[in-house]
Amino acid sequence: MTLDFSIIVDNWQLFAKGAVLTLVIAFISIGIGFLLSIPVALMALSHRWWLRWVSGAYVEWFRNVPFIVVVYIFFYGLPFAGVRLPEAVVGTLALAIYASTYFSEVIRGAVLAVPKGQMEAARAVGMSYFMGMREIVAPQTLRLLLPPSTNTSISMIKETSILSTITVAEITYQGLVVQGATFAPFEVFMTTAVLYWLITSIFARFMHGIERRAGIAQGGNQNRHSLADKYLQIGTKRVQE
Amino acid sequence: MKSLLKVTNLSKSFGAVPALRDISLEVMAGEVICIIGPSGCGKSTLLRCINHLTFPDGGFVELGDVYIGREPMAGGKVRMQSHSQIDKLRPRMGFVFQQFNLWPHLSVLENITRGPIKVQRRPRPEVEADAMVLLTRFGLADKATAFPAALSGGQKQRVAIARALALEPQLMLFDEPTSALDPEIVKEVLLFMRELAESGVTMVIVTHEIAFARHVADRVIFLDGGYVAEEGPAEELLTNPKNPRLREFLSQIDSPVMGCSA
Repeated sequence: MTLDFSIIVDNWQLFAKGAVLTLVIAFISIGIGFLLSIPVALMALSHRWWLRWVSGAYVEWFRNVPFIVVVYIFFYGLPFAGVRLPEAVVGTLALAIYASTYFSEVIRGAVLAVPKGQMEAARAVGMSYFMGMREIVAPQTLRLLLPPSTNTSISMIKETSILSTITVAEITYQGLVVQGATFAPFEVFMTTAVLYWLITSIFARFMHGIERRAGIAQGGNQNRHSLADKYLQIGTKRVQE
Repeated sequence: MKSLLKVTNLSKSFGAVPALRDISLEVMAGEVICIIGPSGCGKSTLLRCINHLTFPDGGFVELGDVYIGREPMAGGKVRMQSHSQIDKLRPRMGFVFQQFNLWPHLSVLENITRGPIKVQRRPRPEVEADAMVLLTRFGLADKATAFPAALSGGQKQRVAIARALALEPQLMLFDEPTSALDPEIVKEVLLFMRELAESGVTMVIVTHEIAFARHVADRVIFLDGGYVAEEGPAEELLTNPKNPRLREFLSQIDSPVMGCSA
């Protein structure tokens, strides 16, 4: 068997289009999914049982069903409800919701990892629960959030391939098209694999960079406040006297 | 003297376990009260119910002439204030935790100023200047830009006290402020708290430091099993305890090692 990668060169535009669409869908659905997951996580942490219940039911349902089934339900179910949307939009929506269940668990874990006393100290100075979350707890979750979020995001980038089943023309779909025309599955799917690998590994590198910077930011290398400097001078003067 | 804090028939249970039973006490302006008692007797719960970090089940808390939480209405009815109302009233009482609970992602200065800026919405320059005055007074001005991780236990607790004082509370509540400190630092913090008491701050302190209570407190309250078992002037109550449980408690806890004899 001889490998003929000229097939790939001849069809590079299809692969490029597919890669762009994969990137766009992954980016949007991860973004929406993460935003969506914040209220879901807050509900899961609520002291009101019915909010916990709603959040729990949402997470349990979408997380315990294979993504391909979720996609089919949206793709075939929405027209029944009278909603007709382009398949790429349906796919992005389905992935966003699917991703939000994973992200909400990541956020919930990060919030629970912040010691309880942090919120209590916030409440003690008069902050409301939400202000305490925003001002005190949320900034402390960021570092805890990054590694598992990167992990989940990479999974979601790969899950976009499922959208080929509802004719969204992302990488895998384009691969199938080229494969159908050329009967060269090995060359085609090695190429799609490399494309996915490029996207996820560049993304992972980027996130590691952010992680490292977040780590440094906690180290205390901040510029001294000018007002503090003023008082510091007073302090040293006193010592000298 | 003017009454500042009035607690009436306060009760609290955790599930079926009663933590506070029918507690009433009054604190005068400028007074220093120490609450002592065996662990699990409800000391911390009482303090947390006073500023409503924990909501009491029954009874009333009155600061100055303002009720916090449950409010008696005409005809013997009781109205529960909204959460935001309670949030607004809570910082009128400064609260100092056993574990300091400083915010590790904020500098010392930011730890102190975050409350006044975000909650009281006072202008940042003014709040920061006030905070620096506090820090200078507490001997921590050179730590303003440091992060809590770089401080010793005693410095952490002083920053925590400064954070509470920055909101200009009418009353300070201390929940075992020296229990998480190394023995040699306990004295440093106790002396510091004594200075604070002498400057006229009204303080309610849950503590195991009997010598400190004897020297600094005006009155001591002995809690046992969720009740106020005995209450009286510090010297009198600690020297001649009437309650047999208090006598037993003191004989077990009072050792000559405890500091603050200066």
